[in-house]
Amino acid sequence: MRSLIRYTNPRSSLLPSFGFSTPVPWTGLENDIDRWFESTLSDFLSPAWENRFPVDLYEDKEHTYVRADLPGVSRQDINVEMVNGYLTISATRKTKGPEGEESFALSRSVAIPEDVHADQVSAAYENGVLTVTLPKKEEAKPRKITVEVK
Amino acid sequence: MSRLQNLVPPFARRSAARDASEATVRPWYEIKETPDAWGLTAYLPGVAKDGLEITAEEGVITVRGRRQWKAPAGWTALYRESPESAYELALTHDNTIDVEKIHAELVDGVLRASLPKAEAIKPRKIAVS
Repeated sequence: MRSLIRYTNPRSSLLPSFGFSTPVPWTGLENDIDRWFESTLSDFLSPAWENRFPVDLYEDKEHTYVRADLPGVSRQDINVEMVNGYLTISATRKTKGPEGEESFALSRSVAIPEDVHADQVSAAYENGVLTVTLPKKEEAKPRKITVEVK
Repeated sequence: MSRLQNLVPPFARRSAARDASEATVRPWYEIKETPDAWGLTAYLPGVAKDGLEITAEEGVITVRGRRQWKAPAGWTALYRESPESAYELALTHDNTIDVEKIHAELVDGVLRASLPKAEAIKPRKIAVS
């Protein structure tokens, strides 16, 4: 984050002067933006990752899919719940530490944008990625009501 | 992580090759030391065995993994958090690893590798006669 505050221009000394009284202020900006994204991304993938995991949301015509990166978790330690339009994935990662088994609790909730059949949700785990399949509900058909005017 | 690296000086993080055509992300990883070996654990979710490549050369051990899964046709991404680019982790060491004896296994997106220390640097007890 500190790179955002930095306001010196690293390239200004290399620029030939074309009569500008001040160096172009945005010459270093691209680099700064790159760096900022890089640091954000590495923060995201750093140890803070331990109790939060990345989630992707996909859809096709009939289903909504949630994919979660959950490496190193046993299938029986993954719990998927659908409550009030939110899908909650909780998992426990058990690792062997120096003093026996250590376990980390992980949890994420994702708002599911469309109505789904909560009772027909299925999940599969492969290569450390969990895929949850949520069948969409048939959209309520518009009903035409004729009102008789007396 | 930086504290870990201070504890484990033979390993230094090397920034992944910044090649515009093939951007990579560094996976989360951890290194533990035992008297005989270094234990590397790296999280590579989505990587299967045949998408993983470990190379050891000139004091650098490189782990590269590509995600197997591609969104099927008809799927639209509404929200993405997971990186799509391949994973790359380069660990430099000062030739204190017995490269021939590296053992690695990949289970459920977790790579566990044992990097045995070369005989020369193992602590040795010298009997006094």
